Amino acid sequence: MAERSFAKEVQKLKLGEGETFHGEGILAVTKALLQAGVSYVGGYQGAPISHLMDVLSDAEPILNDLGVHFETSASEAAAAAMLAASVNYPLRGAVTWKSTVGTNVASDALASVASSGVMGGALIIVGEDYGEGSSIMQERSHPFAMKSQIWLLDPRPNLPSITKMVEKGFELSEASNTPVMLELRIRACHVSGSFTAKDNLSPAFTLAEAMENPVRDYGRVVLPPSNFVHEVEKIEKRWPAAVSYIKKHRLNEFLGGTTGDVGIIVQGGLYNTLMRALQLAGLADSFGQTDIPIYCLNVTYPLIEDEVRGFCADKRAVLMVEEGQPEYIEQALNTILRQADLQTRVVGKEILPRAGEYTGQVLLAGLQNFFKTYAKGKHKAALPDTPLDPKAQKQLAQNVPQRPVGFCTGCPERPVFTAMKLIQRELGNFHVSCDIGCHLFSILPPFNIGNTTMGYGLGWSGASAFNTPAGKRTISIMGDGGFWHNGLTSGVGGAVFNQNDNVLVIIDNGYSAATGGQDLLSSRAQNANRITGQPIERAVRGLGVKWVRPVNTYDLGKMVRTLREALTTDVKGPKIILAQSECMLNKQRREKPIERKAIKDGRRTVKTRFGVDADTCTGDHACIRLSGCPSLTIADNPDPLREDPVTRVNNDCVGCGVCGEIAHAAILCPSFYRASIIHNPTGWDRARARFRQAIIGFFQRRADKKRKQLSFGGAP
Amino acid sequence: MKTVRPITIAITAMGGQGGGVLADWIVSLGEQNGYMAQSTSVPGVAQRTGATIYYVELFPRDEARKAKRDPILALTPVPGDVDIVIASEMMEAGRALMRGFVSKRTTLIASTHRVYAISEKEPLGDGRKTTEEIYVLAEQSAGRFIAFDMDAAANDTSSFISSVLFGALAGSEALPFDRAAFEYTIKHGQKAVEANLAGFALGYAHSTNTAPAKPATPTPVLAPPAPAVMPLLARLEADFAPASHDMLRHGLRRVVDFQDVAYGALYLERMARIHELDLAYNGARKNWRLTCAMARYLALAMAYEDTVRVADLKTRADRFARFAQEVSAQEGQIVTITEFMHPRVEELCDILPTPIGRFILRSPRAKRALGLFFGKGRRIETTSLHGFFLLRLISAFKPLRRYSLRFDVETKRIESWMQNVVDTAPDHYALACEIAGLQRLIKGYGDTHSHGLRNVAKITEALGSFAKMKSAHTTLKALKEASLQDEDGLALSAALKKLQNGRTT
Repeated sequence: MAERSFAKEVQKLKLGEGETFHGEGILAVTKALLQAGVSYVGGYQGAPISHLMDVLSDAEPILNDLGVHFETSASEAAAAAMLAASVNYPLRGAVTWKSTVGTNVASDALASVASSGVMGGALIIVGEDYGEGSSIMQERSHPFAMKSQIWLLDPRPNLPSITKMVEKGFELSEASNTPVMLELRIRACHVSGSFTAKDNLSPAFTLAEAMENPVRDYGRVVLPPSNFVHEVEKIEKRWPAAVSYIKKHRLNEFLGGTTGDVGIIVQGGLYNTLMRALQLAGLADSFGQTDIPIYCLNVTYPLIEDEVRGFCADKRAVLMVEEGQPEYIEQALNTILRQADLQTRVVGKEILPRAGEYTGQVLLAGLQNFFKTYAKGKHKAALPDTPLDPKAQKQLAQNVPQRPVGFCTGCPERPVFTAMKLIQRELGNFHVSCDIGCHLFSILPPFNIGNTTMGYGLGWSGASAFNTPAGKRTISIMGDGGFWHNGLTSGVGGAVFNQNDNVLVIIDNGYSAATGGQDLLSSRAQNANRITGQPIERAVRGLGVKWVRPVNTYDLGKMVRTLREALTTDVKGPKIILAQSECMLNKQRREKPIERKAIKDGRRTVKTRFGVDADTCTGDHACIRLSGCPSLTIADNPDPLREDPVTRVNNDCVGCGVCGEIAHAAILCPSFYRASIIHNPTGWDRARARFRQAIIGFFQRRADKKRKQLSFGGAP
Repeated sequence: MKTVRPITIAITAMGGQGGGVLADWIVSLGEQNGYMAQSTSVPGVAQRTGATIYYVELFPRDEARKAKRDPILALTPVPGDVDIVIASEMMEAGRALMRGFVSKRTTLIASTHRVYAISEKEPLGDGRKTTEEIYVLAEQSAGRFIAFDMDAAANDTSSFISSVLFGALAGSEALPFDRAAFEYTIKHGQKAVEANLAGFALGYAHSTNTAPAKPATPTPVLAPPAPAVMPLLARLEADFAPASHDMLRHGLRRVVDFQDVAYGALYLERMARIHELDLAYNGARKNWRLTCAMARYLALAMAYEDTVRVADLKTRADRFARFAQEVSAQEGQIVTITEFMHPRVEELCDILPTPIGRFILRSPRAKRALGLFFGKGRRIETTSLHGFFLLRLISAFKPLRRYSLRFDVETKRIESWMQNVVDTAPDHYALACEIAGLQRLIKGYGDTHSHGLRNVAKITEALGSFAKMKSAHTTLKALKEASLQDEDGLALSAALKKLQNGRTT
């Protein structure tokens, strides 16, 4: 079960002609797919399109009714390859993933399907993880579309435009026999809004029909001589077909004014930000009405040359608002204008930042600059008052601490890195190759463990060069998500085949946790629509790994011992430690309600949580440096003699017990205590408690009396 | 161009604080009351305890009808253009200020409580950042500034901070909707409605300054001191400068509780020596800094943490009550307490008579033999008879403490440290105060404790080389701060190295 359930929302997917859909962008895209009569959908989760996958899997009953097949692909490459179904048959298909990382993985299949060309509409929905909140390298999906000749849609970020582009995307794809990429930026995926729904369509031509009546066309296979034919076809047939469709259906929009000698060309996805900037500059109203001509590119590849020429012809200068680099569109514009021998000045990266997200603030500054230079006096853009003076800014910057992401309260991955920190104190530091997933947070404080991360499932491959005799071994990390994505073959297979002698720690928490807790082959949880429960241990033994040690991550002592053995044993060959414990986020989501109910129903329930004894805590915070649990925090020292804050466990504690384990394993201090709270105690519980309290209480009162004789009373 | 603006709302929160819930409430609140609403957020790892922004825009539906067009709503806040900023924690309010979201047009609603960042929790000392200037800047920059501890309010109503924030938003009247509309939204949400309404109500009350004053805790009747300690207190008041009385009383209370009246007397004797010195080198004009500092640190040094002390503290009655309250156990529930302890042979020897302790520590065989029993961590349930009496047994060693190995070691350490203070004071008062403060570096148990001792030793050794300098006290202060920076002592070694080079070159 995924982190977020859309069980309720997916009912909106059933809305019919004329009804109004209210909801998130991602959900709207799903609805648009069904309205377009899609036959199959696949993809791999990852922000910002994780919810698209979650919605689809929660919507499976609805999909089945429509005869739509939904596949949780093993990787983005697998998802892209799925589009092969649209090559020979009039089947509409859509796949989705996080970009650019997912597009990197998918490129092989993408290039192939783009070369073969498609008969049925093929739509690739990429979540562009760029700018604030992004967790990956800052790159663009644009060149992938260019290099394989896939059309790139970048709709205005509102639900009507996005859903229209899904529908038009399929038509464009079929009209030009070319796969189409629909690019959605982070916040567009999660923008709420509404649009007028249409009825869902069952696919006119079904997957079963295709399987029962296979069609083979040698001309569609990427092999000589067809591959050479494909290249010519791309230029001579598919491109012109696409251009005429885009023009005919006016996918790009001419907005704003029609006169004036300066204009703005903008990527559709940035339109709202641009309009807000213009409004703040006093050049537009809240409805996007302005005298400044705007050419809005809902299709950013290919460019429609005569549209561009027409827009630029009567202008001295146009501002190209294009986010990210290199500035492919700006370059293309210049080529088009040069070839047409038009003297219009194209202004882009020379006044707008080369790198980084184009926020309203950034565009506002850019617009001012543009108008000052190219439309003197005509438009005077006024900045809104910037409240803080630089001095105060700086002062704040020093005082407001960074909040790096970190492991959740009670996370089972934390003790793995506590163990590594302890083993490094003992054996010295190791080269640690990281992977993609929550476990990558190990590179941040308080653990500061990890050298590189080369991509999803590539943790062990990232250390494969260090496969040579040395005084120390390397440690590699891999999550179960990365393991099934490709780490099984690229990492473990490669290590066995190349007689690797190093150590791999697989974080086996039962979910693809970082992407939102989706199920995997090795998930312990039962899943109605998928096969789970395939242990990773069997998989790696099957590949020929001899040294495999499953360890419960919460058993810190054992984790340390196992790491020590793996790093020092004379046994040659790959060594794999399976760090096993269920993702706490998912566990709590499952068990909290059950527990709450049990307590409500008056059943005996024992809740455990941890605490720190302020009497004996000396405020050294060694426990925090070894744990980093969010529920482990600090508080004023109640002791008037001590100055440094004591450690405190707040009410978020889920009682995982790691802090106690750390106090033992690292021989810290006697301050940690575990409180077991018995709700609805039985008669026996109460009797025993009373009996104990009677005796203990007696001795305590005696001790109190004795202390009273040395009491300072109320003296401060 | 004149135009109707949307209402812009930025929620700056940490992942898992319910910022998403709040954003959804505001959206449905708007949509149910004649507004078009748009919200956006950044998903993914940003929500794993990191700082994140939820952004909402509301636009009057009538205006859109009049214009026969839909408004173009933005997906990110623009500095200087945010009407309402809701910060779920004080530093997040600071972050909003830093990013320029708070201007004269802004109603800033912030919870004053702190959720400390890892960089504040990590240091060996006190790494907490202050929020004073954030208050000042918020007052200056914001059109309106509503701030109170919403975390406490949430706990008081056993609800969530999101509902308190929603209540504060309603009370601020920054949105054109009445209270009923807000409450309808919560009810409409159908999730934990009662708790949320309670949290909402308290949030509303606070932001309209109509919150019921908390029942003041009755001041306990001051019990008179026990006869046994009267003489000590009398002597304290007679022999010491009033400015130092409070700290001395705290110290005295601690050492007597640690051992006995005689030990308290020893404390006062030692302090008297310091006080005379302070008197001689006009501490009066330095409001007795040396005496006060020493009163604090000597008490901590004399009341060191040994197994006896820990066992004693862990079997006291008030402690059990305190824990039950700390873990917020309710009436009718039973709480059992399990302690995580790891006594090593070293800790055992600490409380044994000096010769025996020494012998064991010197003889590897004996150490190994005992190691069998003291090798691993122990979980002791102090609420069980077995656990309770085990600890009582250990605390019963208290009378023998004076003859114990640790007592011997600590006494020697204290005396040489005091001597150092006494010798320094005449020539360099400030430096003497800093030397007194060296005790602050000695913390914790086991490895942590010996690590602290090592640092103090290193610094004391280096001291000789710069004690004569005028700025010696600042140098020592810097060294102490360095040793509290990281547990591997890297910063300290670096600082010491720099010190040497500074002299040689």
